[in-house]
Amino acid sequence: MRITDHRLVDMSTAAASTNQSRVADISEEVSSGLRVSRPSQDPSAWLAAQRARVRATLADGTAQAFETGHDHLVATDGTLSQISDIVMRVRALAIQGASDSTSADGRASMSTEVRGLFSAAVVAGNTRSADGEYLLAGASSLTEPFDPATGAYRGDATTRAVTTDATTTQLASVAGSSLTAANGVDVFATLDRLATALSTNDVATVRSLVGDLDTATSQLASTRSQTGSMMAVIEQARTAHGELVTHLATTISNAVEADTAVAASELAKATQALEVSRAVSSHIVSMLNPTSSG
Amino acid sequence: MSDLMSLLGLGSAGIAAQNSGVAVASNNVANANTEGYSRQRVDLESVLGPPLEGGVRAGDAQRYASNLLASRIRTASGSLQMSQASADALSDLEASLTSGATIDGKIAALFSRLSQVAATPTDSVARDAVVNAANETVTNIHDKATAITDAQHAANSRIVDNAAQATLLAKQLADANKAVARTGDPVAADRRDLLAKQLSDLTGGSARIDRDGQLRFVLSGGAVLVDGTHAASLQTTPDPTTGLAKVEVVDGNSRRDVTGAIDSGKLAADLTFRDVTATRAMSQLDQLAYDLATSMNTVHSANAALDGTTGHAMFVAPAAVTGAAAALAVDPTLAADSANLAVAAPGTGPGDNKGALALFALANQNVASGGTKTLTDAAIEMIGAVGTEGAAAQGDVARDTMVSDHLAGLRDSLAGVDTQEELTNLARFEHASSAMTKFVSTIDGMLSSLIENL
Repeated sequence: MRITDHRLVDMSTAAASTNQSRVADISEEVSSGLRVSRPSQDPSAWLAAQRARVRATLADGTAQAFETGHDHLVATDGTLSQISDIVMRVRALAIQGASDSTSADGRASMSTEVRGLFSAAVVAGNTRSADGEYLLAGASSLTEPFDPATGAYRGDATTRAVTTDATTTQLASVAGSSLTAANGVDVFATLDRLATALSTNDVATVRSLVGDLDTATSQLASTRSQTGSMMAVIEQARTAHGELVTHLATTISNAVEADTAVAASELAKATQALEVSRAVSSHIVSMLNPTSSG
Repeated sequence: MSDLMSLLGLGSAGIAAQNSGVAVASNNVANANTEGYSRQRVDLESVLGPPLEGGVRAGDAQRYASNLLASRIRTASGSLQMSQASADALSDLEASLTSGATIDGKIAALFSRLSQVAATPTDSVARDAVVNAANETVTNIHDKATAITDAQHAANSRIVDNAAQATLLAKQLADANKAVARTGDPVAADRRDLLAKQLSDLTGGSARIDRDGQLRFVLSGGAVLVDGTHAASLQTTPDPTTGLAKVEVVDGNSRRDVTGAIDSGKLAADLTFRDVTATRAMSQLDQLAYDLATSMNTVHSANAALDGTTGHAMFVAPAAVTGAAAALAVDPTLAADSANLAVAAPGTGPGDNKGALALFALANQNVASGGTKTLTDAAIEMIGAVGTEGAAAQGDVARDTMVSDHLAGLRDSLAGVDTQEELTNLARFEHASSAMTKFVSTIDGMLSSLIENL
């Protein structure tokens, strides 16, 4: 085949240009750390990475949701713990008040203390979360769930679930209805009745309320246990989320990120090829130049 | 004496013939870098005659050319121009669709905000965040719709420009046919080949040289653009419905729509991009916007806002799939007040979040593309389709470049000027010319001696 001098120059120039493009491509890969930054570079890899990114975004959202739910549960548990402590103290006062050795004046004094504890319990029951919602109000979370005067529950039995991953939810609230007669005894009403019985020196009622306070104690323990179980599930979701984030990061990395060592090695090879092709071009031009020496 | 005079004539003809060789070699070197130039040769032929006469004469300069090879080069070049133009257009659109936040990312962010508001449904900050995410999704879809429309209009402008350029080339090609017929000049034939290649680069089609020596250029589908010395024009007229240009071959009163027939060259690339790729991308984006709005609205309107009322839309209900992307908007009442975000089950209280969970659940439901894909998958695949097409076009560019390079090598092997070779030819003809000059001088001397001795 006849090859002209112009063809030789064209071919060597094209080779140098190709090698230069290769160096530019690998340099971009090394500097950006991305092997695939556009879908056309590797459509299936880009699709896989993009799907993983979407999952990661959704996972971040669910993680924030269950962390918020966890915070609410921690606050709820604190509230229930406070109420539980109050009920324990009231029960001790009830046992004392039920004793024949306690005088009417002593019961009146106890009544005052129980009334104070009742108010403290209602205040605890009306605790709000950091974002302003009443923790134990059910769906009526913008309204105080317990009447400050009577302790009557004004909320509902709705509980709230939060997302723990893309397709799963987990209950992350308890309603104040768990402290009402529907689930045993009405805890706050029991405290109110005890305060009244103590103030009126009604020993029989005081004695009868000790059993109700036992029920209230177990009711609170059961509710706290539910809260604890919910928190445990969220702890598991937190662990699973961490694993998912790692998995998705690996998926994205495998699909589109550059292997630095390989890319650096490729860059060295491409640079060497470019230098050689430039030398060849220079040699050909020199060879074809009739005025050049040699 | 008369024989010596004949020898002078032989010498003179020989000098003229060798000088023709010098002239052709010089011309070849002078045109070594001229695009489309085919090297020429001069054929010397001996003149028959008695033993002491005879001599040499130079024929007309001949070009090294192959009509078959020229035809293959035109076809390959048209194909390369098409794949290159396709790759460029797709690369631009791909860059627009992937620059900044992608649609799938914005939709995922909206769902992410919905999962967060489910944890604090009455929190105005969380509710505002959902509305902001919805607004950002709308803005992103608008931006991408604009990018697709801009790309489509840019392709349309290129189609108009290239059609005008093709008309000019067709006229020049007809003129070149005229010049070849009139002069038979190899340079005119080179120019004709070059013009035919440039026209193929724009329109594809095929050119053949008929027995009358005239080149005819026919577009795919059979419309004749150049017939000998007569050229039709390639005109563009805006379609009354779309406003996009349709391409017609106009020859006198005859008009023939070739918009769908052109299958190679830059015009085919831009027509395919405008009428298939960009149209499909816009259609997919419209469908996505429609599916997003309708699926979200269905759930949203069934749930209750902060005040317990139901029937609120999340997005302005799209009138139709076509145009849904450009028309997509967050419902004005929701945009004005995030209290209208319906995230509670109807008949419960503001702290209920079942509506938010139902909206979030849409993230994993096949509510897009006729119930076959999730919204984010539909968005990813819409961008991915452009990328896949771009990758294929880049593959076509690599393949067509190889073919074109191979054919360029073949053409160069046949018709390319090698300056070293021409310098050798130059020396060869110069030496022969010098020798003939010496021969003439010798005969002249002999004649002078003869005349002096008379």
